[in-house]
Amino acid sequence: MKVTIDGIEIEVETGKTILEAAREAGIDIPTLCYSEAFGGQGVCRMCMVEVKTGNRKRFVASCTYPITGEIEVQTKTPELEEIRRNIITLLYRRAPNSDLMKKLYQDYSCSEVKGVDPEESCIMCRLCVKACEKVGANAISTVLRGTEKRVSTPFDEESPECIGCSACADTCPTGAIRVVEEGGRREIWHKSFEMLRCEKCGGYYSTLPVREHVTEQLELDYADDSLCPNCRRKKLAKEVAEVR
Amino acid sequence: MTQTQVNNPDKRMILVCCGTGCLANGSGPVYEAFCHALEGNDQFEVETFAKATGCNGLCEKGPLVKILPDDITYCHVKEEDVSEIVEQTLLKGELVNRLLYRDPATKQYYRSHHDTNFYKKQHKVALRNIGEIDPTAVQDYLDRDGYRALKKAVKTMTPGEVVEEVLKAGLRGRGGGGFPTGLKWKACASTDDPQRYVICNGDEGDPGAFMDRSILEGDPHTVIEGMIICAYAIGASAGYIYVRDEYDLAVKNLICAIEKAKKCGYLGKNILESDLSFDIEIVRGGGAFVCGEETALINSIQGNVGEPWDKYVFPTEKGLWGHPTVINNVETWANVPVIVNFGAEKFASIGTEGSKGTKVFSLVGKVVNTGLVEVPMGTTLREIIFDIGGGIQNGRKFKAVQTGGPSGGCIPENLLDLPVDFDNLSQAGSMMGSGGLIVMDDRTCMVEVARYYVNFLASESCGKCVPCREGISLLLEILTRICEGKGTMEDLDLLESMSSTIQQAALCALGRTAPNPVLSTLKYFRDEYLEHINNHRCPSGVCKDLTEFYIDPELCTGCGRCRRNCPADAITGEKKKTHVIEISKCIKCGECINNCKFQAVKVK
Ligand SMILES: Cc1cc2nc3c(=O)[nH]c(=O)nc-3n(C[C@H](O)[C@H](O)[C@H](O)COP(=O)(O)O)c2cc1C
Ligand code: SF4
Repeated sequence: MKVTIDGIEIEVETGKTILEAAREAGIDIPTLCYSEAFGGQGVCRMCMVEVKTGNRKRFVASCTYPITGEIEVQTKTPELEEIRRNIITLLYRRAPNSDLMKKLYQDYSCSEVKGVDPEESCIMCRLCVKACEKVGANAISTVLRGTEKRVSTPFDEESPECIGCSACADTCPTGAIRVVEEGGRREIWHKSFEMLRCEKCGGYYSTLPVREHVTEQLELDYADDSLCPNCRRKKLAKEVAEVR
Repeated sequence: MTQTQVNNPDKRMILVCCGTGCLANGSGPVYEAFCHALEGNDQFEVETFAKATGCNGLCEKGPLVKILPDDITYCHVKEEDVSEIVEQTLLKGELVNRLLYRDPATKQYYRSHHDTNFYKKQHKVALRNIGEIDPTAVQDYLDRDGYRALKKAVKTMTPGEVVEEVLKAGLRGRGGGGFPTGLKWKACASTDDPQRYVICNGDEGDPGAFMDRSILEGDPHTVIEGMIICAYAIGASAGYIYVRDEYDLAVKNLICAIEKAKKCGYLGKNILESDLSFDIEIVRGGGAFVCGEETALINSIQGNVGEPWDKYVFPTEKGLWGHPTVINNVETWANVPVIVNFGAEKFASIGTEGSKGTKVFSLVGKVVNTGLVEVPMGTTLREIIFDIGGGIQNGRKFKAVQTGGPSGGCIPENLLDLPVDFDNLSQAGSMMGSGGLIVMDDRTCMVEVARYYVNFLASESCGKCVPCREGISLLLEILTRICEGKGTMEDLDLLESMSSTIQQAALCALGRTAPNPVLSTLKYFRDEYLEHINNHRCPSGVCKDLTEFYIDPELCTGCGRCRRNCPADAITGEKKKTHVIEISKCIKCGECINNCKFQAVKVK
């Protein structure tokens, strides 16, 4: 199927989203809640584009809009610029403590607004929830409604599902998820985990539930292996070298 | 369309309105009292019995009692009045004058509600049976053409012909969007997936709206029949009625109706000996306004969080459990049997070019007759508010009417002659929504009105997408600032720019329509915003920080009404002498201005 994006004609498979098609063609559309690993969520609306079908013009979220017919797409118009600037303004107002938002707020020359909570850095992109889902733990989700909406564990208590893998924090674009690693323990989402210690280098890595989870998921058995990923790689390289 | 009464001269019926409004006013005991008085009473010439019906619409005058075939309507009937009605009217054939409807303007008494201005301009299609039948008696529904449309469809029409008929009728969805119902059915019927669903949207989350509730409570079979006809037309095997959680009576009556429809063979396997098999399940709502949005509703039925998704693929293709789904509003369903029964042409003869049939409105606010009204599309706002509604309460001046629910817009006086239909309301910067009409008088501050609705929407946004969650919150911050006299002209620019972003970028219609209250008041009442910002003055005397009341000595007669009504004892003055408001004591509640009969209290 043929579509035109910013005047460039490209051939696209039916069902691909506009965002995927554009990125493949080297056209960048800004996003905040998108990750290739999880697919489009339609949450941040930064990726809004203008779609023309026949005489009809409308704005759609490119990350969730599947291409099913011949369309003409514009990704950079004054109206879209205003939408993006306003979205950044709104997210800066929500999360003034986030370095990412501070920077974007400057870059987009946004209207002046006052942050609601100076300590806040979460922009509610939900990438953490998606990551947790993908890991298979499903320990966190969004709770409440409207501006009260936030990501949390059930009842803000430690969740039996959380394995302390910190995939959520690793995915977070604004560093809003607190992870404290101290004295061989990792604390995350109201829960404290004993960390695994590498018997070779002595460095801390991962948590026991993570190892159990991975073992179970991959049906792997590294029962007596207590090495950090780095030392394990070295050990493997040495073993392979010896076999040769 | 079927204005037929059960005018059987061999029987006399006492219809006691037991809609939610009347029940709250005590119609339950009235009904009981009639049953008691009639039971075993052999003095009547004809068989006489009492029935509990659904809502008649004129809730304000309830409890209502109608007597057929005499066509007598009594208002505000109390338990104590029952014996008098039995003695006077049922036995002697005389009217009990004091219980008749009295026109507030002309003070004239009316024997039947049919002759009152409130009813005369109405045209009942969706509400045709409500108030006339006992919703728990399937026979009552059958007596008024009930399930005739289903028989006609299944026995004499192909599914395609049914879809065509609905399409030809020009029926548009009554739940807010106004999407052509026939197109929806057609799209669903033409998918490859054989597993299809039918859903009735009975979430009705607009504050103050009760049209769907009245239909579900007062005529549940019409909704069920509409759904079965659709199931036949599109080939669906399962249906769901999603009912707002608070609607206990609606759920009760629906359960009863579904059971009876099953017994009669209208639901279940091989309906009316055809190949059609269809069942309906009731799902209770999740208690959030956004759950009325169709994709959020589907999520809610599936047990997920009630959040909408981008509808670039319509639910008619991928809906419930990923299968093609037709979802229509309660009132939309109620129109379907009428279309099939009497034909598309007859239906389409009512209404305007682009909006066929009638629309039910819940008329509330500062209007004399509040209640449920059903009028042909194209009736003007003036007719609805002044002829049917009887004008503004306490002789005050009309200022605006808010249509379309919380995310509708406010329409000013110079548009009162606007014929109401989907397109005209949108063009005026408002919308049909589900049919709320809130009338406002000159004691209303339009900035505060915008703030009020935006505040509602801020707490009802599901919070999924940024423009809605964060944008409405910013609108609220700015509007609050303006109401407190701290707004700036830059604030107005930001209001407008943010509003347009929310309209263009929000995920669902909740967000996309949320700026309507702001934009419509900015459009028609911009001077009020400017007064708040530039002169720190609320011209309607509502925003407390910007209001100062005074008494005009020229107009004050010294009657003392304001002094007696002031809760803060801020008014002094001797009898028949000019009164004065002590500013330091005044709490700006506006009791004085509301109570003064001489318009002597003014806003500085
Ligand atoms: C925030 C929001 C709330 C809604 N609430 C309702 C509702 O309570 N009842 C309803 O029938 N439709 C409601 N709708 C409209 C539905 O999404 C949908 O358009 C409708 O049920 C389709 O039926 P119709 O075509 O018969 O109107 C709502 C829409 C939005 C965006
Ligand atoms: S527009 Fe509002 S209600 Fe709709 S998805 Fe976005 S946040 Fe939720």
